[in-house]
Amino acid sequence: MSFELVIGIEIHCELKTKTKMFSGAPVSFAQEPNTCVNEIDLAHPGTLPSLNKKAVELSLTACKLFHLEIDRLLRFDRKNYYYSDLPKGFQITQQFFPVGKNGYVDIDVDGVSKRVRINRLHMEEDTAKQFHRDDVTLIDFNRAGTPLVEIVSEADMRSGKEAAAYVEKLRTMLEYGHISDVKMEEGSMRCDVNISIRPIGVDAFGTKVEIKNLNSVNNVERAIEYEFERQKTLLLSGQSVVQETRRFDEATRTTVSMRKKEGSVDYKYFPEPNIFPVYVSDEMLAYVEANLPEMPEDRFKRYTHEYQLNETDAKLLVSNKALGDYFEQIVQLGGAVKLTSNWLISEVLAVVDQKGEQSFSQWINPTFFVELFELLDKQVISSKQAKEVFTWMLKGQSPKATVEKQGMSQVSDESLLLSWVEEVITANPQSVIDYKNGKDRAIGFLVGQIMKLSKGKANPALTSQMVKEALSKR
Amino acid sequence: MTNKKEVWLQKAHKTIDELHKLQPKLNAVVSFVDVEKQVDEALDKMGPLAGMPVILKDNVLYKGIRATASSYMLDNYVATYDATVVSKFKEAGAIIVAKSSLDELGMGGSNITSFTGPVHNPYDLSRIAGGSSGGSAALVASGAVDLAIGTDTGDSIRKPAAFCGIVGFKPTYGRISRYGVIPYASSLDHVGYFTREVKLAAEALMLLSGRDDKDMTSISTPLENVVEALDESLANKRIGIFKNVLDAIDDEDTRTLFFDLMDKAKEQGATLVDISMNTNLIKTVLPTYYIIANCEATANHSNLDGVRFGTHEDGESLEEIMTNTRTKGFGPLIRKRFVIGSYGLMDENQELLLKKAQRVRRKLVEATEKMFESVDVIVAPASSHVAPKLNDPSIDQLSDKYLVAENYMVLGNFTGYPSITIPMGMKNHLPLGINLLSKGYDEKTLLQIAYQLEKLTGLKGLKAKVEL
Repeated sequence: MSFELVIGIEIHCELKTKTKMFSGAPVSFAQEPNTCVNEIDLAHPGTLPSLNKKAVELSLTACKLFHLEIDRLLRFDRKNYYYSDLPKGFQITQQFFPVGKNGYVDIDVDGVSKRVRINRLHMEEDTAKQFHRDDVTLIDFNRAGTPLVEIVSEADMRSGKEAAAYVEKLRTMLEYGHISDVKMEEGSMRCDVNISIRPIGVDAFGTKVEIKNLNSVNNVERAIEYEFERQKTLLLSGQSVVQETRRFDEATRTTVSMRKKEGSVDYKYFPEPNIFPVYVSDEMLAYVEANLPEMPEDRFKRYTHEYQLNETDAKLLVSNKALGDYFEQIVQLGGAVKLTSNWLISEVLAVVDQKGEQSFSQWINPTFFVELFELLDKQVISSKQAKEVFTWMLKGQSPKATVEKQGMSQVSDESLLLSWVEEVITANPQSVIDYKNGKDRAIGFLVGQIMKLSKGKANPALTSQMVKEALSKR
Repeated sequence: MTNKKEVWLQKAHKTIDELHKLQPKLNAVVSFVDVEKQVDEALDKMGPLAGMPVILKDNVLYKGIRATASSYMLDNYVATYDATVVSKFKEAGAIIVAKSSLDELGMGGSNITSFTGPVHNPYDLSRIAGGSSGGSAALVASGAVDLAIGTDTGDSIRKPAAFCGIVGFKPTYGRISRYGVIPYASSLDHVGYFTREVKLAAEALMLLSGRDDKDMTSISTPLENVVEALDESLANKRIGIFKNVLDAIDDEDTRTLFFDLMDKAKEQGATLVDISMNTNLIKTVLPTYYIIANCEATANHSNLDGVRFGTHEDGESLEEIMTNTRTKGFGPLIRKRFVIGSYGLMDENQELLLKKAQRVRRKLVEATEKMFESVDVIVAPASSHVAPKLNDPSIDQLSDKYLVAENYMVLGNFTGYPSITIPMGMKNHLPLGINLLSKGYDEKTLLQIAYQLEKLTGLKGLKAKVEL
């Protein structure tokens, strides 16, 4: 019997705001525990929520990007449950009226385009982070109250690949939209996958299993593939799939049961009385629409059309937004498009692991590239020298300084070049004979010798041309 | 300046001495507050509250001072920030001298459920002061201070004001910020206060009100100069006499005092209009209130779990810690209300309880609005009788007898309309009050009429003499 996968995905994504969803405390990542909190985040008595306007703006932007219908009357609800990571004893969310509903994204799997419907997008606040030790639990409230959007897809995906493509698509769109940092490994984007399988041709859904907190796009795919096999094996051996929550174990690449679903929990949702419904003004909506950020497809189009980059290079720059941003920064400073793209793709990416946590521009000053290209253009240095200059750029030294300190200028003076040519040809009579016998590689050998003699400073193009001329005169 | 400082300090200290003397009788203070630094910081302030000793109900947070809300749960809780109303007091130069007792977490109408014991009525120590703002009411009535903050979710300012013979006022919902005030039920909670004169109530409103970005339900509708407007006479004022309430009052003395005052108002040019609401509808006030208030309260107080602050009981697991803490931390009445609230919020009950209550509330609001079509204010006795005895078994119980007469003031919370109680007379040396309700945002008319009625009662500045 053949089975088909049915997959729906819930994504929680932290919004890129300066302050929290309902308090003025700063949003932070990797700060000292419990330093980015105020009385509201700790739910001290008497505190009240104040809605973060920027969070609303970002949520509206996300709604626009995912073609969601926007509910302009923003309403919030309480989700009640007692837990130590939830200071108020309830989470403020949008249970009854999500800001966005009925949208979609188009994904691309193996060249085939597919539309995945998005059921809803709503705003809510994050919980605190807990660290369970042997006999104590430590709580860091820095994360408590961080703005989130939850994006819930329809069960439209049918393979691990599609699921991964969906998550990746959302990830890049949210990143391009400046909506979130979307760092799955750091938890600023978290992914829960609902999976069931059914025999092909059957309409009814199978029993749903939820896999929580997948921390990378690859793991989404792996977890689904594993789960597909697991459920298939169960069904084929006459057993049934149990409705439960599982997690993905990276080490064994398997899914492990966390808890069985014992009926659904009653969260006693009711409208949040401390936030009156807020109407999204025409101005705000117009602002959001007028400032919709460029999406990956648009950037790709711009790179291939306007910048005339080939598709492979354009794709590479677009897939790595930070690199693409850096590319544009250099181009804007005057770097030639093709040259910049070549350098970034072949040289910078080769050593990108040295970048660490810094941004590209913190790592290598973008003006260095402009300087480097200028030196190349004016033939002050050879492209071979340029690579050495680049290694110094990585250490924070400007190209001009390197050229000066290393005495690294290219010799294009023809009389000096000629003397080297004569010297080398005289010293290698066999090469002359080889050349006469039609062995062109003699030229390369002689140029190499001149390079050695000039300590790499000879202008290679000019040298090559002069060697040819000298040989033909012999 | 030095002289001013001495005068203010002396005044504050004298007030605190007075409070100490009253404490064994009234049991109205929960915590005393140091005044030296406050006086220093207030010296450059001017206006009607500058240098004035005032009291906060103990559910209002004042940074560095205990805020218990009269619950064992918060017995050790020291406020980490100032409530907005405290910041307003500081700006106005008022000197906070004490925090006053309330029914635990503001839930009650007797002030006998306070963790620190019952508050006594300054007119008769064997009687209740009313609640939940009973401590503030008793202390203003005794003359110890001229102004004390209260909060009003059902009638928690206006009822004790009646029992203690003083002015109790809550403005329009959102007029005074609730930030830093330990809630009872968010959609019904109002911050207000007690005075012994309507004029000071008007002056205080000018200083304590205003939009606060920390409270999204606070309003930006500008407040008119309610002090300047006080002198306008009763001529052309239309006073609606709330028939349903008067019909439900069996105490003839209360009725007589009320109608005598109305006759005087009529002599001053006021037009008296009988108004009423559907009898069945008005009987829903109390059950509707109970459901909404308890549902909201259950969630509002879920933060009191012993994990981050407040009293804490140990346990083997997180659940046990929370259960033990909350079981020991709350009194029996609170626990009962949380159970009711939680029941009302449950998925299978919410439609029948909370949502239905919210729909009934809407109907009550519409019916109240309709009554205002022909009148400027709606008036009725604030209570059918004088303050009950401390051991009165009917206190805080649901009772058909008092369904309308003792609970109609909740309409002021359902609508959010401003409302005030002032003393209207004495029965056997015990005060009785009259309550006024105006349309939303119309504090001006409300205070005007209250001010004119106060002249007619001759009870302006009424003070209890507490036998020490």
